Amino acid sequence: MNRMGRTGLAGAGVLAVAALVALVAPLLIDADSLDVTRVTAQAWQPPGAGHWLGTDHTGRSVALLMAQGTGTSLFVGLTAAVLSVGIGTLVGIVSGHFGGLLAGTLLRVTDFFLVLPALVLAIALSTVLPRGLGTIVLAIGLTSWPSTARMVRAQTLTIEARPFVERARALGGGHGHVIARHVVPSVVPLVLVNATLAVASAIVAESTLAFLGLGDPTRISWGAMLHQAQLHGAVPQQAWWYLLPPGLAIVVVVLAFTLVGRALEAVVTPKR
Amino acid sequence: MLELKNLSVHYGPKRVVSEVDLTLAPGQTLGLAGESGSGKSTVAMSVLRLLPRTARVEGEILLDGDDVRTMSWGRLRAVRWASASIVFQGAMHSLNPVRRVGDQIAEPMRLHGTRGSVTELLEQVELPREKARAYPHELSGGQRQRVMIAMALACGPRLVIADEPTTALDVVVQAQVLAVLKRLVAEQDLGLLMISHDLSVLAETCDDLAVMHRGELVERGRTREVIANPRHPHTAALTAAFPVIGDPAHRWADPAPAPEPLLQVRDLVVDYGRTRAVDGVDLTIGRGEIVALVGQSGSGKTTLARTIMGLRKPSSGRVIFDGAEVARSGKALKAFRRQVQLVLQDPSSALNPRHTVFDAVAEGLRVHGLADDQEAQVTAAVERAELRPASLYLESLPHELSGGQQQRVVIAGALVLRPRLLVADEPVASLDASVRGEIVALLLRLRRELGLASLIITHDLGLAWQIADRVAVMHQGKIVEQGSVEQVLLTPSHDYTRALLRAVPQV
Repeated sequence: MNRMGRTGLAGAGVLAVAALVALVAPLLIDADSLDVTRVTAQAWQPPGAGHWLGTDHTGRSVALLMAQGTGTSLFVGLTAAVLSVGIGTLVGIVSGHFGGLLAGTLLRVTDFFLVLPALVLAIALSTVLPRGLGTIVLAIGLTSWPSTARMVRAQTLTIEARPFVERARALGGGHGHVIARHVVPSVVPLVLVNATLAVASAIVAESTLAFLGLGDPTRISWGAMLHQAQLHGAVPQQAWWYLLPPGLAIVVVVLAFTLVGRALEAVVTPKR
Repeated sequence: MLELKNLSVHYGPKRVVSEVDLTLAPGQTLGLAGESGSGKSTVAMSVLRLLPRTARVEGEILLDGDDVRTMSWGRLRAVRWASASIVFQGAMHSLNPVRRVGDQIAEPMRLHGTRGSVTELLEQVELPREKARAYPHELSGGQRQRVMIAMALACGPRLVIADEPTTALDVVVQAQVLAVLKRLVAEQDLGLLMISHDLSVLAETCDDLAVMHRGELVERGRTREVIANPRHPHTAALTAAFPVIGDPAHRWADPAPAPEPLLQVRDLVVDYGRTRAVDGVDLTIGRGEIVALVGQSGSGKTTLARTIMGLRKPSSGRVIFDGAEVARSGKALKAFRRQVQLVLQDPSSALNPRHTVFDAVAEGLRVHGLADDQEAQVTAAVERAELRPASLYLESLPHELSGGQQQRVVIAGALVLRPRLLVADEPVASLDASVRGEIVALLLRLRRELGLASLIITHDLGLAWQIADRVAVMHQGKIVEQGSVEQVLLTPSHDYTRALLRAVPQV
């Protein structure tokens, strides 16, 4: 197996572990151990026998918080990526296939979202909309679709120029037939690759929003942990165990998604 | 000057050229003929050691007595272009699109430190000197090919290798390019090794002819003798595949009774922006009749076909099918498209590479909601297109099939809807000589058995002679002459038809 395949496999392994933690953690972790009013441990405990990764400013175990936060980060990353890739694919295929005024309008809208700084727009959206996980997903999804739309449109245009599409039209095939039988199957591999890369950036975006205090305050996520750590003075306390684990976890999961995406890209792109 | 002794080339375990012996003296012109995969291009590329690393070359390649195989890198660089140069096939891909052609012609002179003038070279190939400042896309196909020839002559080589130099060009332009090449070879006493699948092109240019088949040299001799008395069956097949206009033996169509009209085109005009591609065309195709629409590239014949199919909207004029005007949209257009089917030039791109033969053939049935008994209908159509037994092919993907088989799949995909008219755009232009004959025979058999009418669009007058009942000649968007095949091709009345006929290379 080539190098690309090996790194992709390593990425997939990391993701499998992360997914397992995300699924199992809520079942195993006792709600009391994450409730600030019921925890018994001291605040700011360094890593030790009782708490593998120490405790936070309220005495909760950082290891448990990490496990609990995995699910939120992955959930937001995946749903936001699906939303953004979904919008992007739809806009891309429609503007590539139909052309004309409709395509012009869609492309101008795409350009509008492309030039807006995505993070600023996401911040603005999450301050205006009611707080919650849905808002975060929506904010990320609505700001990150333009690049997918551009790419899908380009692929649609190349496919539409091929003689077999002309043949399909001559056979009597309408828009639905051409899109469903010829355009979508050739766009899907590209979209899948793009989706894995979009998950990575969505996780970063979620962490950023949460770190800025715009996340769902009732849920624990890696970004929210960083926000808490910064807010309650982890740095003056020299509590590195509260800052490093969520930061590293974000880096590792994002890297894993990127590696898987690159490996998939190598698989679906023909060598010739 | 050039001597190949016992040349064999292997790619891995596969032998593509076996034990070829060839000699070429200065001033001699040698044509190397063969179908795709016969190894003719491999032989040509081996002369300048241009084969990929994976090729294993055995035997001797002597260029002026020096073995190219064992030359040092520096010596090889000196020999390339200065002693022998190549006119590559497909000038569009061999020229750099972002550099002026003058700079590109000058490039080998700069690399070799030879003196010379680009203007002089352009004059030799009959191009005006201003063209040196043009970019490749500003030139026509024939002009680009002449630039390639000028480039090959830049360092004054004694041997020129031309690899399918006219394949993508239409007859008139092909005749011009061949004339330039022939004159230069005679004037400068060059050796010419010309590679082509088209015997008539080689007969036009070369004194000697060598025929390759499956990597072996099967025949070699004076061009006239080889073509007149082929000794090897493959050579005979190649010569038979190129129809001679006027020869009754090459006329395969049976005389058809005067038919009643099936499709009528009345005063059709199609504009592309400000250019008028089709300019007031009247054309009638009868039931079961085969009409050839001939003309050069850019004459508007493909646009006319697209418009008849309803793939393009006409600016004015009418298309009448079976007594009723063809609808421009909606259900009526869809129903019309069931009756009229399209066969495209390049079968490898006309099939979706992801669809199996079954899916490709069944596509029309699915579009028209005729899905009941799909399997039987697809099998019948595939067998009609002479892919037997169908079960062997149904699950194949296009890239697993040969060009001829792919074209049969395209034809099967059209037949499955039981059309009454087939519009075929250069149906055999991208196929090998032997396959070409089979496809032509297939089209004629379909007419005989199913009463299928065809509109064949082609720049190949030989094909028109072979297959058509009537010929329409198109020039600059207008039909300048139409009538029965004999009348148009044997006693042409329009100057343009005469010019087209003159340009056809004669075997």
